[in-house]
Amino acid sequence: MSGIATAGAADVARPGIVGARVQRREDPRLLTGRGTYVDDRKVDGAVHIAFCRSDRAHARIGRIDAAGARQAPGVLGVFTAGDIDAVARPIRATSNMPDYRATELEPLARGKVRYVGEPVVAVVAENRYLAEDAAGLVSVDYDPLPEVTDPEAALEDRALLHESAGTNVIAAREFARGDVDGAMAGAAIVVEDRFRIRRKTPSAIENRSCLAEFEAGRQALTLHASTQVPGLLRDALAEIFDLPGRRLRVVAPDVGGGFGAKASLYPEEVVVCALAMRLGRPVKWTSDRMEDLTATSQAFDEIVRARLALEPDGRFVALDADVIGDVGAYSIYPWTASLEPVQVVSFLPGPYRLQNYRGRVRAVATSKAPMGPYRGVGRPISTFVMERLVDMAAKKLAMDPAELRARNLVRDDEFPYKSGSGIVWDRSGFQDCLRSALDRFGYAQRRTEQAAARNEGRLVGIGIASYAELTGIGSRISAAPGMPINTGTERATIEIDSTGGVTAAFGIASHGQGLETTLAQIVAEELGVRVEDVEIIHGDSAAVAHSTGTYASRSTVLAGGAATLSARALRKQAIEAASYLLEAAEADIEMRGGVISVAGTDSSITLRELARAFYTEMRRIPKEARESLELSASATYDPFFGTTTGATHVAEVEVDPQTFGVTVRNYVVAEDCGRIVNPMIVDGQVHGGVAQGIGAALYEEVVHDESGQILTGSFVDYVVPSAAEIPDMAVIHLETESPSTLGGYRGMGEGGTIGAPAAIANAVADALSGLDARVNELPITPDRLFRLIRDAEQRKGESRYEA
Amino acid sequence: MKPPAFEYVVAETVEEATARLAEYGDDARPIAGGQSLVPMMNFRLVSPAVLIDIRKIAPPDTIEEADGHVRIGALTRHRALETSPLIADRFPVVTAAMKHVAHLAIRNRGTIGGSLCHADPAAELPAIAVLLDARISVARQGGERTIEARDFFEGALWTAVGDDEIVTRIDLPLLPPGAGWGFHEFARRHGDFGLAGAAATVTKSAGRATEVRIALLGVGETPVRAHAAEALLTGSDFGPDAVAAAAVAVRDGIDPTDDLHASADYRRHLAGVLAERALADAWGRAGNGAS
Repeated sequence: MSGIATAGAADVARPGIVGARVQRREDPRLLTGRGTYVDDRKVDGAVHIAFCRSDRAHARIGRIDAAGARQAPGVLGVFTAGDIDAVARPIRATSNMPDYRATELEPLARGKVRYVGEPVVAVVAENRYLAEDAAGLVSVDYDPLPEVTDPEAALEDRALLHESAGTNVIAAREFARGDVDGAMAGAAIVVEDRFRIRRKTPSAIENRSCLAEFEAGRQALTLHASTQVPGLLRDALAEIFDLPGRRLRVVAPDVGGGFGAKASLYPEEVVVCALAMRLGRPVKWTSDRMEDLTATSQAFDEIVRARLALEPDGRFVALDADVIGDVGAYSIYPWTASLEPVQVVSFLPGPYRLQNYRGRVRAVATSKAPMGPYRGVGRPISTFVMERLVDMAAKKLAMDPAELRARNLVRDDEFPYKSGSGIVWDRSGFQDCLRSALDRFGYAQRRTEQAAARNEGRLVGIGIASYAELTGIGSRISAAPGMPINTGTERATIEIDSTGGVTAAFGIASHGQGLETTLAQIVAEELGVRVEDVEIIHGDSAAVAHSTGTYASRSTVLAGGAATLSARALRKQAIEAASYLLEAAEADIEMRGGVISVAGTDSSITLRELARAFYTEMRRIPKEARESLELSASATYDPFFGTTTGATHVAEVEVDPQTFGVTVRNYVVAEDCGRIVNPMIVDGQVHGGVAQGIGAALYEEVVHDESGQILTGSFVDYVVPSAAEIPDMAVIHLETESPSTLGGYRGMGEGGTIGAPAAIANAVADALSGLDARVNELPITPDRLFRLIRDAEQRKGESRYEA
Repeated sequence: MKPPAFEYVVAETVEEATARLAEYGDDARPIAGGQSLVPMMNFRLVSPAVLIDIRKIAPPDTIEEADGHVRIGALTRHRALETSPLIADRFPVVTAAMKHVAHLAIRNRGTIGGSLCHADPAAELPAIAVLLDARISVARQGGERTIEARDFFEGALWTAVGDDEIVTRIDLPLLPPGAGWGFHEFARRHGDFGLAGAAATVTKSAGRATEVRIALLGVGETPVRAHAAEALLTGSDFGPDAVAAAAVAVRDGIDPTDDLHASADYRRHLAGVLAERALADAWGRAGNGAS
């Protein structure tokens, strides 16, 4: 159940293509099994890799015996680090951030292994079955090294994962503003806790997959990869293999989800390229689910100690936080190990008025899969921590948590507002989101019903979470601070071909978000053609000169901006060309729905006629005009700063007091993503994001034992919520004009995941408010809830539990 | 995650299947629905040299009543059991339990013989077999025998079925008239194996329980009957104290272990809660036996 509460002024005035619920053009293909994913690509002579992966968390590699594997049926070769190093430079995620220590990532482990699942040996065979058979014959001797698995213990550097770094703390940063200690000391009340969110894996439905083809004749390499970042991979691989970019192409065909996990360069991608060049055969690797759950980047693994100080009237006066990010074994390219934990401290002050802030973060290397971006990056954790503190403070002040938020959220007249960590919120409906969410939820009524339910002994809770994020980030602040890549621009080229067809090419890579549809809507609207006339090319490094791809809630803002600029430029040229045919002044010509006409007359031509005249019927437009004009335009858009997206989530849960199962009963999201291109797609993004946030709150946890063995290697043990666990939700769209982006668009792909863990945690805490139960760890599994409640009741001396 | 190479043979009769098993010994595994075996092969946890496909053995699935029991062919799919009007009438507890078995696609493929032989201690069907005192028939070359459910499950994923045997049918003795039933399971997600579950049947006469059965799943190496709790409740009026005492007996009578999804303490607690719920339902549904 979804609804549109308000429509932007632009929508009302002009019910155009932008803003319409256009059905996703990719769906007929994707939903009927006609999509083409990397693994669907069948190439003559392709061979397959099975990796021998480390079964040790931290060990020195001894002898590798591959003699049996080399003799096994169908095997083309067995390769180790040295074979790849000979042609490929190691992956090194650099940054000029102070206190950052780059760690080299060898495509195949050299010298030692640092996590269970790290690729050590690549076995290439005629098919995956034979490759796995042969991989089973490889034996690797390991000499165990001390465990580096617990992030707090690893801080002490008793054993080092990367000797060259000299410490396990591979990134550290501190934000400080105002006088935190003074404000804390003078504050009326202080709430504090130690919060823990357990490691997640993004679990896209399509596992990672890559296929490298090397044309010896052209000395050209093409990599098909299930990735969000084809352009970024092309640029990285050009460096790694010292190949000119024009002979290196990275294509992301249909991609079945990424959620950030496919936004990095992976060792396997380097290995398939290296071996395709070496063997002269196309080389494919498709991850199985176990590999995906062990060796795809993981996320959201932090310990946060935080304190919030308030005045008696509820005004926030100071926030102090210390974050330990468990970033796993390597610094992932290009984002580095700092990305996720630094975002936690960057965004911790949230959408609130708060001027005394100190946030310290340390990124600690441990023997686990590298931490990488995952939908929300850091903000699900910062929001969980801050919103729990707000609710704890409300309880202490005996104030309604909604009222406490209303008193502290930045007001409309205060934008632009510089947050405690230095982030500038340009303008967003923080207060509107809170009000709208509470209204739709029926907050007052539900509080009454909750009181009645409590009297019956039912544990019903209501939780609110407000947050803000930066989206559509431009070149001035960068989505990758200090890293030697440009994440601040995107480029588009739009062309009208000789049949009148419109093709718009982008470097972004849609992997489920529906960008083929939304970008077509923007192009159609700005150019003046029908949506179905516009073909969208994306996910191909050859499509534009430079692009980094789709991540960080940027594609609608950046690619949409580039589409707008290039469509406007093309429209101008098309109208100029048409002016010769229509024998009218350009100012009198309009273009709408693919028809170019002279205003106020019945004189018109179709785009097809224009294209024929321009390209084929050589006498209709003067030579000089045909040479100076082009039915093609390219543009690059840079939002420079980026813009603010805000939202409030309200959740109602019920906890079974006997089984400790948590049911999410009601869920409302009020979000402000500025001007909406396609409300149906925004709804879908919010639904999916909230589902992942519910996963983070109640279900999902990557578990390692003390020795670093991963225990969640299948979907039996890594518990992702299914449709049955996700409630219907109401989504309210506010469309506050963004002053900062072309078209007024804001990014919104991640927000659902940012708000949901906090809203659910607050709702569960509210359900248990009769107990002194500290809801400070996610996911809140039934077993954790059992222990939490048992411990709280035992403290009160009224245990109901035998155990 | 690909299985190593194996040979595949089709057996069209029980005799043919058991002859093949005798021939290949423990190198062979029968396959029917493949819902547990195939994933285990893909993980290379088991690597049979020969798969004997028994799906063509006739009759493929039968559910029929005779001589005081309902007889179910081993190749009956979970879904057939779930939707059988005869089962719904004679053993509504089975119908209820089947709805907890994984997801529809899996129930459409998985067979009851396969589920019994897989013997996952958290699976529903093994607990139901133990609850209903099922008799499970197995065949081997030149012979057949019947194993009582209580003797069938020897450990986690371990049964009394020999390497040269296949399960051919399961007989469920009819419950006394008017028997009430209850089934409660708690799983983290819809369709998952339960963290714990309890099934109960109760027969009553003149306000007192004349026969009580409680079977538990997910609380140990095998499904178990809670005999001490059954004894406490038999003859009782199912008052709150009697049921509470039974729940304590349920908890005391099991020895669950810690795993990824639940601690032993939590499982023990849950078993008591679910047993109470199943018992309450069963008592409420029981009619007086004399009717």
